[in-house]
Amino acid sequence: MTSPTPVSQDSAKHELGAERSVYFRIKRCDGPGKATRWERFKVKVTRGEGANVLACLERIAANPVTADGAKTTPVVWDAGCLEEVCGACTMNVNGKVRQACSCLIDTCAPNDGDEVVLEPMQKFPIVRDLWVDRSRMFETLKRVKAWTPIDGLYATGPGPKETPERQQERYIYSTCMTCGCCLEACPQFQQEPDASKWDTSFVGANAIGQVQLFNEHPTAKELAPERLDAMTAAGGVSECGNAQNCVKVCPKEIPLTDAIAAVGRAATIHGIKRFFQGK
Amino acid sequence: MGTLHVTQTGSFLQRHHFLLRRLHSLSGIVPIGVFLIVHLTTNASVVWGMVNSSKYDGLHGGAATFQHEVNFIHSLPFLILIEIFGLWLPIAFHSILGIYYATTGRSNLTRYPYQDNWRYSLQRISGYVGVLFIFYHVATLRWGWTFLIPGGTKWDGEFAASTMASALQGGTDGMTTAGLFVSLCYMIGVSLLVFHLANGLWTAAITWGLTVSDKAQRRWGLVCAGLGAGLMALAWSAVIGFATLDPAEAQLAEEHVNRGHGVEPAHVDSNVAMTTSGNEE
Repeated sequence: MTSPTPVSQDSAKHELGAERSVYFRIKRCDGPGKATRWERFKVKVTRGEGANVLACLERIAANPVTADGAKTTPVVWDAGCLEEVCGACTMNVNGKVRQACSCLIDTCAPNDGDEVVLEPMQKFPIVRDLWVDRSRMFETLKRVKAWTPIDGLYATGPGPKETPERQQERYIYSTCMTCGCCLEACPQFQQEPDASKWDTSFVGANAIGQVQLFNEHPTAKELAPERLDAMTAAGGVSECGNAQNCVKVCPKEIPLTDAIAAVGRAATIHGIKRFFQGK
Repeated sequence: MGTLHVTQTGSFLQRHHFLLRRLHSLSGIVPIGVFLIVHLTTNASVVWGMVNSSKYDGLHGGAATFQHEVNFIHSLPFLILIEIFGLWLPIAFHSILGIYYATTGRSNLTRYPYQDNWRYSLQRISGYVGVLFIFYHVATLRWGWTFLIPGGTKWDGEFAASTMASALQGGTDGMTTAGLFVSLCYMIGVSLLVFHLANGLWTAAITWGLTVSDKAQRRWGLVCAGLGAGLMALAWSAVIGFATLDPAEAQLAEEHVNRGHGVEPAHVDSNVAMTTSGNEE
């Protein structure tokens, strides 16, 4: 009987089904306004099981003991769909913003003993640990009237005819899940604790994408002048600094910089019209 | 009262947000960008003008051509009005608003070290450094703050190349250490300003909505990069040209040009041209 090639311990850990350890360094915070601190956890994962960051957070919650053996509270995070369509679990993984659910451990920390750094998003107020309050984005969507006006006193009949090509062009913008990645990576979008200033602060790439979506929609474009009023006001499209990080971090690969330029063009025309009309 | 003033300023900026942003973008191209292109082309004539040497009796063709260009500019009517409304006010407007706008951003290069993000940060840095550089440039050469020039040379429009050369070289006896420092500052300052214009043209096309798709933006980016490279070549040749120009040799060429243009011989006097107010080596 031939003996198999000796397998080193290291390469054994690379085989499917091999168990290994991954460390998590997590930025923690007990609540709004509280001090932040770092805690490190050791989590056992099995290669090929398909564990994502959230599965590891569940293991930490089940046994909230730091890598040094100190007892602590379970790490809090937000999650919803677990398939990268709701945006709730958006956080900074190894310094970059993304959804934790679509972040597989075998990809982001492939070796035994690798470390994964988790931080909450910096542009939104912390609720607790990795959980942030992203409600400002909802207010911004209201500010740019990101909807189709269909409510009225009488039936307005069928909408205008639409070509599949135009539909297809718009479709990608409709996949926006308001996760906030584009805002987190944007050097021009800052956290604003004072909600009364939200109306004049930069709306950010996602809202501009929604302006493009609804202004291109044959029925929703009825509100285009109002959306462009918001886009030419303080905090509108001209706050963009063209760093173009938004389009690179968008998990849905929405062409946000195309939307910014297209809305910029519409805003130019709108602005000139308004200037000569005297508003 | 102070608070009230701040609120009013804020509301003015907010009420006219879009117009001011667009004027800020426009002023960077017209007149400032156009001026920079003309200015660098003129300055680089100290190098490309050397093709004219035979026209100037074998004297330094670069210095002669540059003097010829300067004389032309100084012959323009209402020069002071052109200066105030075409240069000083637009540059002040673009700088003040630009610095204010730049303070609304927070660079995040460490987390997102993308090329576009680098240019975002560099655009702001080049703006800050550019304002300082333009201030030094105008204060020393236009307003005559000679105490800021090593060697104390006073720039003279009738001896444009030779006095420029000694202002960069720290005197009339070849390059000094302080002169090398000034020349290097010119090199850095002017390079950053050329970048600022080229990158600004790229972002302006997005801002105004000329280049919408990624493809169009990349295509226009190549045009801007080409323009930037060309302007960089002009800028560097101008700085290197003046930093290596022999002031005495240049002065002969200048006197030749000025005689041809009917300038009073009394003005064409080396003692007037080379007045120095600072410490001499």
